[in-house]
Amino acid sequence: MGTALNPSYFMVLSAALFAIGLYGALSRKNAIAVLISIEIMLTAVNINLVAINKFLTPEAFIGQIFAIFVITVAAAEVGLGLAIIIAIYRNRHTVDLDDFNWMKW
Amino acid sequence: MSDWVGVALFLVVGLVFGAGGLLTSFLIHPRSKNKYKLETYECGLPTEGPSWIRFKTQYFTYALMFVIFDVEVIYLYPWAVSFENLGFAGLVKMFIFIFILVLGLWYAWKEGALEWK
Amino acid sequence: MHFDFSLLTTELSMFILGLATFVLGLVVPSRSRRGIGAFALFGLLAVLGLTVLNWDQQGVLLNGMYLVDRYAMFFKILCLSTAILVIFGSLRYVNEHLGNHFEYYSTIVFATLGMMVIASAGDFISLYLGIELMTISFIILVAFRSQDGKSLEAGIKYLLQAGLSSAVILYGFSLIYAATGTIVILEVAHATLQGQASPLLIAGMVMLVAGLGFKVSAVPFHMWSPDVYEGAPTPVTAFLAVGSKAVSFAALLRLFVAGLAGVHQQWDILVAVLAALSMIIGNLVAIPQTNIKRLLAYSSIAQAGYLLVGLVTASPAGIKAVMFYSFLYVFATVGAFTVVAVVYNKIKSDEIADYAGLVQRAPLAAAVMLICLLSMAGIPPLAGFVGKFYLFSTVVSGYLWLVYLGLIMSMISVYYYLRVVLVMFRDDPKDPAPIEMGSAANITLIITMVATIFLGIYPNPLSEVANSAAISFFLK
Repeated sequence: MGTALNPSYFMVLSAALFAIGLYGALSRKNAIAVLISIEIMLTAVNINLVAINKFLTPEAFIGQIFAIFVITVAAAEVGLGLAIIIAIYRNRHTVDLDDFNWMKW
Repeated sequence: MSDWVGVALFLVVGLVFGAGGLLTSFLIHPRSKNKYKLETYECGLPTEGPSWIRFKTQYFTYALMFVIFDVEVIYLYPWAVSFENLGFAGLVKMFIFIFILVLGLWYAWKEGALEWK
Repeated sequence: MHFDFSLLTTELSMFILGLATFVLGLVVPSRSRRGIGAFALFGLLAVLGLTVLNWDQQGVLLNGMYLVDRYAMFFKILCLSTAILVIFGSLRYVNEHLGNHFEYYSTIVFATLGMMVIASAGDFISLYLGIELMTISFIILVAFRSQDGKSLEAGIKYLLQAGLSSAVILYGFSLIYAATGTIVILEVAHATLQGQASPLLIAGMVMLVAGLGFKVSAVPFHMWSPDVYEGAPTPVTAFLAVGSKAVSFAALLRLFVAGLAGVHQQWDILVAVLAALSMIIGNLVAIPQTNIKRLLAYSSIAQAGYLLVGLVTASPAGIKAVMFYSFLYVFATVGAFTVVAVVYNKIKSDEIADYAGLVQRAPLAAAVMLICLLSMAGIPPLAGFVGKFYLFSTVVSGYLWLVYLGLIMSMISVYYYLRVVLVMFRDDPKDPAPIEMGSAANITLIITMVATIFLGIYPNPLSEVANSAAISFFLK
């Protein structure tokens, strides 16, 4: 399918998503919210990869393959993150990053 | 310009799909007005205790296991699509992959993640 | 397409070793799991031997996706030696504080495998997978003491920063892919050498600097490392400080010196500023620290600054200097952290004040600590001096200000290193009972001490090996 859509639309969408995720990851205090923000950043990367693949190298599936790897690795990371958060919650009854202050500057 | 038709169609179908359910239920649902209707849960029983109760962490363990094994299926589809090109070597490699996953399941089983305590 | 599995000998054997350790741990009843540490140790030694034998192997797999050359071999040997020293030196610490867990050893093996993949990675996918295999294994290791709040806190902090930095690196990859149309590093190199530097490429490059800056804990991306270093079990801290940092530098070199050589004009000043900031902040903030692990963490931030200096000129001499310095950094850091682990075993404290009179309680530990700290400070005739000499001599022409800054900061670092030494040698111990360390820890300490002194007096062999590896890096 030929397409007249401009690749820059996808790039802008992905840049916006990435910026939103980065802002969330840096500003949120809840550990789970930070994890979600990181997922948003990874989604931005996936949009970028798939869109660029479509426009630059439509005969090879580099971007798609990369995106699949990103998705699976992100799932593993989130699983691990939630496991640690559960363990911390059992230990301290909070998931607020400001309360993670057993160690000081 | 014709490309935008696809986008517009996608948008319209998405809106119809979302709004349609709400609208249909609004049109056809039976209307009965009484004070139990306004309660949080319509079980006929008054709510007891705080609603912020603790769930068993077992739920989370199951959810984690599900997430991890669920996502690995993503590799099975491309493999299945090009199965004929890959031949016997592809089959062996996929079995190695599954074997590693089974090791993970074995570990979770042994650690008691599958038991409901 | 022909796929030469013999090029993957070391990785495959490492993978089998990891699985074997894991399965063995599942099968063997928990009472008789003591041997698993020894099993993993001997397996790692065998893989190290195999890697040394395959030193001359050269090859490219899957159109440049995976590169096997001396440069990669050098970093594989470095990681394997670190893993071996860390496991051997802390067998007792692990038994007493982490319990008899086979997961610990198999996770170390998989973290090392991740490092080996990073060293050989030739495109963005294999690089990303290597980084994530290493990082996820390290998160598990950092949070291993799941009853200890500090360890868990360090785990979640490491996880969040690692996820963030991975996302930033990935975004950089996707931008470079957009600018050049390829994800193979050598093809990226061809594209950047021919074309003009597009804004997309520059943006991607900045993302990579930021993301990998997190991984090597360069200022201003260093905030996580003191907390993680303090909270993690001490052997894991040593492994994290050496292995993860060294291979992150391997990835940096591969990406910037090989891949983005065409835009060297755009990134050299960026890296120089990061190096300068890391040296300044790392050394200055180390001064008021009272916990030995935090002190070593800030010192390791400063070491990242020194190592970044070798990257600035993108020359073979710089690569050789980075490789040389990271190899001797292995011995100095593992030695220092092994002392921390054995002392913690006895007195249950990481505070510098509790190291008073260590020379009377454990003369060997105090001597090793002295030598390692002085080597990190760069006092001749120890190895650190030679390493710093190689690093800074690459930037004498062009970046003279970096050399002066490095000299001043090294002098400042002597101050806080000597503070620890004074406490150990001058003060009287609160409790004069000798600290008994166990023969494995003793042997590790002696190895690190001898290596640090030997490489300082007679650096030529390692220097030549690093040289030949650096030359193989440019033969493409």
